Amino acid sequence: MKMLAVRNLRLCTKDCLCLYVCPTGATDTEDSIIDLSKCIGCGMCADACPSKAISMVPEEYPPQQKKAEHVLTPSHTLANNKAKAEGMARLLAREAESGELYRLLKAVERSLRLVNEDLLRESGYMLPQSANTHELLASWVQEPPAPDFPVEAAKKLLELLPCNEPLEKKMHKYRCTVCGYIHEAEELPPDFSCPVCRQPASAFERIE
Amino acid sequence: MKYICSVCRYVYDEEKEGTPFSELPESWVCPLCGAARSAFVPEEGEERPAPAVKPAAAPVHEGDEEMKELSFGALAALCSNLARGCEKQYKAEESALFLKLAEYFTAASPAPARAGLEELDGLFSADLAAGYPALRTAADEEGDRGTARICVWGEKVTAILHTLMQRYKREGDAFLRDTRIWVCSICGFVYVGDRPPALCPVCKVPAWKLEEVEGRASK
Repeated sequence: MKMLAVRNLRLCTKDCLCLYVCPTGATDTEDSIIDLSKCIGCGMCADACPSKAISMVPEEYPPQQKKAEHVLTPSHTLANNKAKAEGMARLLAREAESGELYRLLKAVERSLRLVNEDLLRESGYMLPQSANTHELLASWVQEPPAPDFPVEAAKKLLELLPCNEPLEKKMHKYRCTVCGYIHEAEELPPDFSCPVCRQPASAFERIE
Repeated sequence: MKYICSVCRYVYDEEKEGTPFSELPESWVCPLCGAARSAFVPEEGEERPAPAVKPAAAPVHEGDEEMKELSFGALAALCSNLARGCEKQYKAEESALFLKLAEYFTAASPAPARAGLEELDGLFSADLAAGYPALRTAADEEGDRGTARICVWGEKVTAILHTLMQRYKREGDAFLRDTRIWVCSICGFVYVGDRPPALCPVCKVPAWKLEEVEGRASK
């Protein structure tokens, strides 16, 4: 698995040993962020760093754990309630008469957003590269949730982000009306014929 | 006798403090995290504190509950979360695009029909009484510890928000005057005081992860 070096700027103590050991100069940048186009993933910088500020991460992330629908149902209910409270706090902050109440409600609004982000992260949207994220973005491109929705942004994200797991195919079952043979596929090709009784695709009916 | 804060584990030792726990005024809050007095439980035979409002009934999972579509407000949080996910991977362009989607959903989210401090606090009570217990039950049944973690943090933060709303109702602007308000940028814990605690009482990140809430920009 190809690895890449990333630097945690909060931990970096500028001892610069990573600059000495990097064979490609990827660690030496004007904004202290390791240049991923130059990084070859050798790990020398991470080993040399005395502050443990550099870690190696995979270029491709593994697929995320699937969430049970049984958990997602109460999770979505809670997420919608948090969103409702956040909207209410935002509105009340705008109308607040005192500076104290304004600050309190702004804190509540921010807190609710953070709690909801965390909740939705655990509801199958942890990684931007996940199939869930891709499917959601694709559904917005195909059918924008509102006429003024910024479709271009969703399209661009689909282009930029690789998907780290195979997208779930919608499989259907087709039954041969003559012999009862069942064929499973996304779609039945027009030149398909029944492997048992040789009937053409037109003899099949979709049952699922 | 010792009493433990169910949010941050602060120990109130009656022997050391001199005042019996039962004689503390209703307005007393945890000196470490600001949780209400009712969030404390006796040390012996410690149990999860009973929620302020009793759950209506045990949640049923017979497949009769339909999965709710996420509202625009929830989709806003979903997108701003993915923006953070991109930011952590140093993907600035992707992060900006997800933020654009989040801003769209926030702006397009319909304003609540009824809004007030009572209504807002009512939503917190509902989450504590029904929302979190239902999610925690489902998470435990599935062995989903990630979701169980959400419940632990979320319940604590919601309890703090509920306490703050109650305090505001009782004391008004007074307890916020000439002091600062902080929000933990990781879990959403809210702290009122001049300096944030060294560790977030809920998620245990260091103090620099707590951000101060700015006042209204003067006209």
